[in-house]
Amino acid sequence: MTTSTPAIEDARGQGTGSWLRDNRTLLLLLPTLGLFLAFLLFPYLNMIVMSFRNPSTSQVFAPGYTVFNYFDAIFDEDLYYLEILWDTMVFGVGTTFLCLIIGYPVAYHLARTKSRFQNLLYAFVLSPLLVGVVVRCYGWIIILANQDGLINSTLRKYGIIESFIPLMYNTFGVGLGLVHIFLPFMILPLLGAIQSIDPALEEASQSLGASRTKTMIRVVFPLSLPGVQAGTVLVFVLTISSYVIPILLGGLNVMIMSTLVVQQLLDAMLWPFGAALAFILSVTGGLAVYFYLKFTSHFMKGIA
Amino acid sequence: MTAAVPRIRLGRVVYLGFITLVYVFLLMPLVIVVLASFNSGEFLTFPPEGFSLRWYVSFFDSESFMGSLFYSLKVAIVCTFFSTILGTTVALYVVRFSGRWREHLRLLILLPLLLPEILTAIALLFFYYNFDATMRALGLDMFVGLFRNSMVGLLIGHILITLPFVFLGISSSLYNFDMALEEAARSLGAGRFTTFRRVTLPIIKPGIIAGALLCFIISFDLFSISLLLKGIGVATLPIQLFDYVRWDYDPTAAAVATVSILITLMAIALTEKLVGLRSLRF
Amino acid sequence: MTKLTINGLVKRFGDVVAVDAIHLEIDDHELVSLLGPSGCGKTTTLRCIAGFETPTAGNILFDANDVVGLDPEKRNIGMVFQNYALFPHMTVHQNLAFGLEMRGVAKTTMDERIAKVLETVQLRGLGDRYPNQLSGGQQQRVALGRALVIEPNVLLLDEPLANLDAKLREEMRFFIRHLQKRVGITTVYVTHDQAEAMVISDRIVVMFDGHIHQIGGPKDIYSRPVSREVADFIGLSNFIAARVAGKDGDGGYVLDSPLGQLRCDYADSLDDGQAVTIMVRPEAIRLEPAKPAAGTSNAIPGTVLERFFLGNIQGYRVTCEDDVMLQVQAEPWTEFSVGDSLWCVFDVERTWIIRD
Repeated sequence: MTTSTPAIEDARGQGTGSWLRDNRTLLLLLPTLGLFLAFLLFPYLNMIVMSFRNPSTSQVFAPGYTVFNYFDAIFDEDLYYLEILWDTMVFGVGTTFLCLIIGYPVAYHLARTKSRFQNLLYAFVLSPLLVGVVVRCYGWIIILANQDGLINSTLRKYGIIESFIPLMYNTFGVGLGLVHIFLPFMILPLLGAIQSIDPALEEASQSLGASRTKTMIRVVFPLSLPGVQAGTVLVFVLTISSYVIPILLGGLNVMIMSTLVVQQLLDAMLWPFGAALAFILSVTGGLAVYFYLKFTSHFMKGIA
Repeated sequence: MTAAVPRIRLGRVVYLGFITLVYVFLLMPLVIVVLASFNSGEFLTFPPEGFSLRWYVSFFDSESFMGSLFYSLKVAIVCTFFSTILGTTVALYVVRFSGRWREHLRLLILLPLLLPEILTAIALLFFYYNFDATMRALGLDMFVGLFRNSMVGLLIGHILITLPFVFLGISSSLYNFDMALEEAARSLGAGRFTTFRRVTLPIIKPGIIAGALLCFIISFDLFSISLLLKGIGVATLPIQLFDYVRWDYDPTAAAVATVSILITLMAIALTEKLVGLRSLRF
Repeated sequence: MTKLTINGLVKRFGDVVAVDAIHLEIDDHELVSLLGPSGCGKTTTLRCIAGFETPTAGNILFDANDVVGLDPEKRNIGMVFQNYALFPHMTVHQNLAFGLEMRGVAKTTMDERIAKVLETVQLRGLGDRYPNQLSGGQQQRVALGRALVIEPNVLLLDEPLANLDAKLREEMRFFIRHLQKRVGITTVYVTHDQAEAMVISDRIVVMFDGHIHQIGGPKDIYSRPVSREVADFIGLSNFIAARVAGKDGDGGYVLDSPLGQLRCDYADSLDDGQAVTIMVRPEAIRLEPAKPAAGTSNAIPGTVLERFFLGNIQGYRVTCEDDVMLQVQAEPWTEFSVGDSLWCVFDVERTWIIRD
């Protein structure tokens, strides 16, 4: 049953008139609406205000307002904050790209497989997503740890190395963790997009003489672009705002915006400055996503 | 043609091999954590040194870990209770009655999914602080610490994050719901409430159950919100684990992590058994 | 039983007028079809009768009682939906019991009535099945049974056969027809399938754009359509533009057309010079190889453009003067070839006039 015909739309919305006029239905909405207004919209507005507060050494902020929190962050002499912002974006783009090229074949296989293990494989993709991020990072710590991790201690045991290979507390460790944790977020939208492509289109392409590879490039991939778009945006946004992974796998050696913000807030107690940094991150990320969506939508004409 | 056959086979082997590797990559840390928790040594090497339950003993003896485990369960259960009720009712409103405000309301409710969790946590932290300051200024001392020093503040954060998941699942069951079923019930003489109770609710129940279980899992694993909003001196299991593994590689953490994986797996198995895993919607 | 009266029913959705002031009376025991293309307002009319839409204006009477404003559950209607709307979480028995429970019928009476209806819809022994364990035809009959078991005032059917395959659909037409006659319930049947409407109905209401164009028996609607839309919607027709030349003395009219003078039986009065459309059904046209005897009315020379064989008929497309093309359905054993010159002849009684 479609929802587009006026008759049915009407039946849902106000067809049996008294439903809408019945104020009691508002009781379904008001508790949640109240919760979201009071504890989501208002706190975010409050945070914007906070980023314009005067800093203070004794309290979390002082009376009065200023724009210097933003100035200090952007026009820092060493470009310290902008460099961290740049690193954050590099991590975001890199993780997104790796997740896409690793996740695409997996999503395609899962979408098209006729194996009776399809449900199990689906559970494999899903389950890391449902296990806490701390647990998964901890798994990597056990494997990668520089002195006594699984890899280093095993290699040392067999005399292959003398001391250790630095596998974490560096960019490699953080990158690995990011790709691992966010890969399911790429696979799931891709899976949905590929499943919605009629397999007959692939057969049509092959019947017209295109090889499997050509079919993938010319037919499947373009049609899966909505999934690609959703997956890449999701992974990018999650990466640039991730906190646990850089802390646990990067330690103090890898600093990105979110770790910097939490450091400013919890360790340095510089709330206005931390709020300003958080907004610089949000605006940069938001603009990046906006232009990306604008750019990619050019390639999605004719696809719903 | 004959020459092309082995080449295609090779391509297929590489393709399937790659996919197998990705699955191994996805599951490896989880498997390793479980292995480490049963390993008798301080550090996991290959091959493992021997089987031991000592890290579980150490976990069950640890007051801080056991305390945080129960605290996490408590938060997750209460959060699931509220999120499911709120998510179901608001999904009903948005799908059935919201009219031209539908898209705005949808967006508002999905906002916690779109905004970085850490930012939401920070916003709530500031808000709770300002709330306390305002209450103190107004002389309403009894409200000071209402959010910061109790489970309430943390719980609100958890509800905000999990509610969109419940909402998504239930609103999609409602969108897929054939309105003719309700009309059939009405034509047979059932009033609005009876129709909802006897027809609508039983049919969207799988969506509600899936949403509730997903909500439990997410709340149980939630990190950033908990890090910033936990009351003084209380920690959820992920926080306790985080603090522990930052400075300590002691496999007690592996036992804790394994139990946490087990709880998640039980919730997933329950979902699969009750309503099928594919009812989980993202 | 109940007499259903619809009086000046109007239903607007925003700026769209779905039903525009229709009047209709349906007698006890009668089965009336609402027939028309999608969007003509037939379903909206049905939903107004059921109470799922509130009319913008007008009355709907069950006997003498106006039901407008009454909730659907208080109207005692039986409704069959296009996709059946069987409750998937209830067995056949529970589906049938639902309406009786709502009426507080005692358990023993309930079981008796359900058993009786299951017998009627030929589903005995399937009471414990769930809807998804039934075939399309069986689901359809459960839907019918569920609507009938509550002994409603009126039975409303919304394209009940649309989801069945062609063969089963034809069988179900007769099944519903017989069932309705046996139970004798006032019935409104919505369909866009003209053949279905003609087989099943006592009377057909043909609707376009929210208006009723014609109400009548199947034969009436087919042979004497009041508008070009009706003629076009029901069966194939040939239309010839014409002008009234005068009366012909036999109670009919003589008309001037691009194909020469044509004659037509027509009871209503027409003005001389009035522009009209002549309608001839393809099966009413006889093909003759030679020029008919002088004095034969309505004989038009033409050339065979195309021929096609449909088993029960031999079809032709014949071009006549002034590029008029006539569709002809002849007996299957006629043998004209493409390019043959011939004469199309049609009886005065089978020629009909549609006022423009």
